[in-house]
Amino acid sequence: MVSRQQVYSSSAALQAAPRVEFGYANAHHGEIFQGVLADSGGRLRRGLVSLVCDVMTSEAIFQPDDTGIVSVDPVWKTKARRAVELTLEYLGQREVGGRLVIESTIPPRWGMGSSTSDVTAAIRAACGEIKLSPHIVAALAVQAETASDSLMFGNRAVLFAHREGVIIEDFGGALPPLEVVGFNTDPTGSGVDTLSYTPARYGWREIEAFRPLVGLMRQAVQMQSPHLAGRVATASSRINQRYLPKPHFDKIERLAEDTGALGVQVAHSGTIAGLLFDPGDPSTPERAETAKTMLDELRFTTWQFQSREL
Amino acid sequence: MKNREVDQTITDALALPRLVRLSENLFAASFVLMKLLPARFILDRARDAALIGRGSTIIETTSGTFGLALAMISALRGYNLILVSDPAIDDALKRRLEDLGCRVEIVREPAPVGGYQRARLNRMAELQAEFPDHFWPSQYDNPHNPGAYAPLAELLLEAIGHIDVLVGTVGSGGSMCGTGEYLRTVHPDLKLFGVDTPGSVLFGQPDRKRMLRGLGNSLMPQNLDHSVFDEVHWVAAAEAFRATRLLHQRHALFQGGTSGAAYMVGDWCARRNPDEKVVLILPDEGYRYQDTIYDDEWLHSQDLWLPDPPREPHLVDHPHEAGDRWTRLQWERRSYEQVIGGSFIPAQQSSSFLAGSPSAGD
Ligand SMILES: Cc1ncc(COP(=O)(O)O)c(C=O)c1O
Repeated sequence: MVSRQQVYSSSAALQAAPRVEFGYANAHHGEIFQGVLADSGGRLRRGLVSLVCDVMTSEAIFQPDDTGIVSVDPVWKTKARRAVELTLEYLGQREVGGRLVIESTIPPRWGMGSSTSDVTAAIRAACGEIKLSPHIVAALAVQAETASDSLMFGNRAVLFAHREGVIIEDFGGALPPLEVVGFNTDPTGSGVDTLSYTPARYGWREIEAFRPLVGLMRQAVQMQSPHLAGRVATASSRINQRYLPKPHFDKIERLAEDTGALGVQVAHSGTIAGLLFDPGDPSTPERAETAKTMLDELRFTTWQFQSREL
Repeated sequence: MKNREVDQTITDALALPRLVRLSENLFAASFVLMKLLPARFILDRARDAALIGRGSTIIETTSGTFGLALAMISALRGYNLILVSDPAIDDALKRRLEDLGCRVEIVREPAPVGGYQRARLNRMAELQAEFPDHFWPSQYDNPHNPGAYAPLAELLLEAIGHIDVLVGTVGSGGSMCGTGEYLRTVHPDLKLFGVDTPGSVLFGQPDRKRMLRGLGNSLMPQNLDHSVFDEVHWVAAAEAFRATRLLHQRHALFQGGTSGAAYMVGDWCARRNPDEKVVLILPDEGYRYQDTIYDDEWLHSQDLWLPDPPREPHLVDHPHEAGDRWTRLQWERRSYEQVIGGSFIPAQQSSSFLAGSPSAGD
């Protein structure tokens, strides 16, 4: 158990020199994969592979004090506040409280992990100079918000049990490099409430069909193949159409084909989607531009980013 | 990296094949006993649905590897297994089944229509009446048969990644339709080459006696979805046996006769398409065939000795044009009716088993 005593030797010192701690976390751009897998004992576990996106971030500023009470601004970010409380408890610092300010550029309800980013940034701020392992950050995050995305693991490709806060499988490397043309499939931008809709109830055919996707994911990471990752993403997006369908998905798939995209990736509990390209392919910039123009014509707002080693 | 693990049972240890590279672009998935996959999956689903438990009676008709797989699992889990077979079952297999605690019923006379297979089904109906609480795995129409092949697709994708062609034999259709459909969730352009034998009704030939066992069928199984196949090959017994021996001589892969048939087609396909990755399914090992396929004297005595394997299949447009030698037809993912024309309507077709209702227990 880590102790915070080394950092704040006494509450007197704390008052003498008020400290400000910062924490950051990236957004993600939905998932390359989401589904259910049977472990060797036959138990079913929900898991996902997040696609980290560093064009949007959440920033947490934490000013510790000795009130034992944590406040948060904006006040409705209660999960982030809870995350700070849990972190302080974990560090054995029940007497520490403070003021937490969250500034985020991540739109909520789009499936970009705005809540997990806030929570992760808050945990990182709350532990100050102590560096918690991503496994512990994940466990604290799930406690604070019921289900978390795996963005505390950065660009490492992991199959993450988002309702348990543990890694089911570490694919042994980073996600393959991907150039992503992103857009929101919901033109109103109102998004979905991630926790209010019931988790997908997959039948045996789908539970089995997730296995080959995970098999290909292993090869995609090992070979660092954007091409194979695109195949996994498209297959997972298709299965998700039965649960949280994206409008005009057939049009999006056709557009992907017409622009030579490697695959279609979606937020399985959100409204955004992405066309995937190989950043190492010289034709990618032109194809991505064509894709954006075509998406504009369908009146989707677009953006673009590259997933890379973080 | 995952640590290597201890398997809980031999049926788990043997369920997946070894993957062996036979040439630059030809990969073999070499099973000891492929049917362990569907047998285990079918019995697992039945157990989960509380249809069976220790002491339950299971009845199936088979003279081959599916029965052996059921018998191995039944021995481990305490099921009472009754298998209905015909005189073609070899003595060694029968003894092995009985050693595993299985009751083997042999029908002595073929039915006038549908041959031994029909006679076996008739005998099975009698046994089913005798044991009203029995479970029937029914590999020919249980969707859990094709449904069982996800672990094979997972392994192939994990180890090979991109796959262009899958070549395998067709008996119930489970392995090819199941593996093919799972692979196509990520590789929709994957080509499926099905291997049958002359005198099998599966792809539209009239039923007659066949020397090559394990693939082909006298009845149309519901688990066969014709529309997944890009190409169909008919391989005669002598050709398959020659290829079985070549697989052994060239690659030291000691497999059964259906493996030889698949190898002949896969090897041809891989040589013709050097830029495509071809994967072969080899369903069982060679020990059962040591006194037959691996015995030159036996081959001569049965008039099945073939000094040189054929180099090329004979291309036809209709199954009825296929003779008694290696033949291929570009099936092009058509339905049975589309290819055959005419009036014969096969057993009710299930479309892609993956397209079935996702939550239906079946
Ligand atoms: C030795 C052997 N090869 C091939 C097959 C054909 O496989 P499937 O029934 O999956 O079509 C069988 C089926 O029983 C078999 O026993």
